[in-house]
Amino acid sequence: MTSATRTLQIHPDRCTGCKQCELACSWVQTGTFQPSRSLIRVHVFDEEASFAPYTCFQCDEAWCMQACPVNAIDVEPDTQAKVVIDDVCVGCGLCVIACPFGTMFFDRGSHTAEKCDLCADDPACVHACPTAAIEYVEADPVGWISAFGEKVDAGRRDSLKGEL
Amino acid sequence: MTRHVILGGGPAGIHAVETIRQLDTEADVTLVCDEAPCARMVLPYHLAGTIAPGTLFTTDDAWALEHQVALEIGCRAHRIDAAAHRIELDDGRSLDYDRLLVATGSSPARPPIEGLDSPRVVDMWTVADAGTFLEQDPKDVVIVGAGFIGLVILDALIKRGCRVRFLEIASVILPRMLDANAAGLISAHLANKGIEILTGEALSQIEDTGSGCRLTLAGGDTLDCDLVVMATGIHANRGFLEGAGIATDAGILVDDHLRTTDPAIFAAGDVAEGPDLLTGGHAVHAIQPTAIDHGRIAGANMAGLDAAYSGSLAMNVLHTQALESCSFGRWSPEGMESTGLSNPGAGIHRQYIWEDDRLVGGSLVGPTAAVSGANDAGMLKGLVQTGISLGTWKDYLKDHPLDLRRVYVASGAPKALLSSNLLTGRASTGGGYRFPPRPPKRPRSTHHAVLVTR
Repeated sequence: MTSATRTLQIHPDRCTGCKQCELACSWVQTGTFQPSRSLIRVHVFDEEASFAPYTCFQCDEAWCMQACPVNAIDVEPDTQAKVVIDDVCVGCGLCVIACPFGTMFFDRGSHTAEKCDLCADDPACVHACPTAAIEYVEADPVGWISAFGEKVDAGRRDSLKGEL
Repeated sequence: MTRHVILGGGPAGIHAVETIRQLDTEADVTLVCDEAPCARMVLPYHLAGTIAPGTLFTTDDAWALEHQVALEIGCRAHRIDAAAHRIELDDGRSLDYDRLLVATGSSPARPPIEGLDSPRVVDMWTVADAGTFLEQDPKDVVIVGAGFIGLVILDALIKRGCRVRFLEIASVILPRMLDANAAGLISAHLANKGIEILTGEALSQIEDTGSGCRLTLAGGDTLDCDLVVMATGIHANRGFLEGAGIATDAGILVDDHLRTTDPAIFAAGDVAEGPDLLTGGHAVHAIQPTAIDHGRIAGANMAGLDAAYSGSLAMNVLHTQALESCSFGRWSPEGMESTGLSNPGAGIHRQYIWEDDRLVGGSLVGPTAAVSGANDAGMLKGLVQTGISLGTWKDYLKDHPLDLRRVYVASGAPKALLSSNLLTGRASTGGGYRFPPRPPKRPRSTHHAVLVTR
């Protein structure tokens, strides 16, 4: 990831689990408010009191792009986002199983793959979030997801202790 | 100047060429391929008529010019003279190499049955095969073999308005992708859609009746149809290697640099038996993602990089009449500890395969919402790929098989994955073979402006 590249920086401590980002994303994708069609999905882990929106990290390896048999996924030069070229995608689904983050989806309507493209450098989810839990800034995403994972993990360890 | 010869224009060969060229702008690169290089994964969509024919092909003159590749299309390797570093082609010519990549792929394996030479009996492996099918435009098709290759064309044939029947010698479908329970969900789903699957039936003969085909089963029953698609498996194209002195087993044995026992010869893709990510041993994984990994690693090492491969991971995905299925790694529960859930009524199946507290495989079946409409398929792949210890989360997943997201996030797998590259330290670049001119910048959806006002 080049230093000038902006990524979606998530602040789980600010997320209330309201899912307005999901509504915004599905609106941008489909023109309807359908969280099931959002490319950002809020993890609502009530037991650990942990919430966080989760979407494509625009990772360096780009397993989705590498797996595609028709090169329907390319790197957007300005944002370094990996984007699906809709009219090239045949809908084979290989990217969905190749992405080890689970952030490639399959569009039931068009039978093509879909993923976060950072709304061409202006992510709608950032605008929709009422608590600034999603920022679009220069930052390495490893930081927030690692800390969030540790919190979820610690929450379970605490609850298991409570059961003893 | 190093002379690279690549045998085979499938994904392994093409990715090797591109990787070599990225690393070495001077080298001599020659690609030998018996047909115009194409994306085999695209054939079903070509049959369905949902894509432009140009999408099928992966190289053209512009690509060859951009990558400075000599294309030798329409010929095959005949013999390798390993001592002389020379490859003899079947048209009598020969090519000298410093580094050779064998990426010759595989071909359909046909059973020893009478009547397979009729033009009404086709494989579904090449663009030419698809052309033979499309010319005849059959309306009543029998597919022999209910494995991945047979089932992956089902949706296309239904879209074309064909009646489709499957004939499978085994008692279950998809024996190399799913266990019997998961495969049973798909069989039941397809039966509900009126698609006949005859399992446990051996074919003894096919007869061309002049207007169609008559299949005779071992038990004496007959089936009449317009055309037969043979999909009974594949075998590696490596006959020309005889006498070359390269070690082979199930495939051409290669080390973690994709090098054969001859240091000047590499092998990649369906023909290669390379490192297996999960077992530490060797395996042939005849799938697109492995071919691409192999091609990139082999290309990097041929160009002088020291690129080690941690191993390939088996994976498959299939869409059959709006039911999706996928499997990863050591998906078979036989002799393994497995957890999960099965809800045949809803057509949902989920299975996790364990070794201690690590996931080593699994499978998902369900409608889009439960498979590629969710994060779960990729997350399962990520957990198998990283082999991360799940500790007490194993029990959690046992009790909550649908809540994979929580386990995934807590496991730390994303952190491990974000800092890993196939070619160490190198970010992937786009703009591969299909984009001589770069695509236009992707426009923002019109809905975006409604939501985001300034």
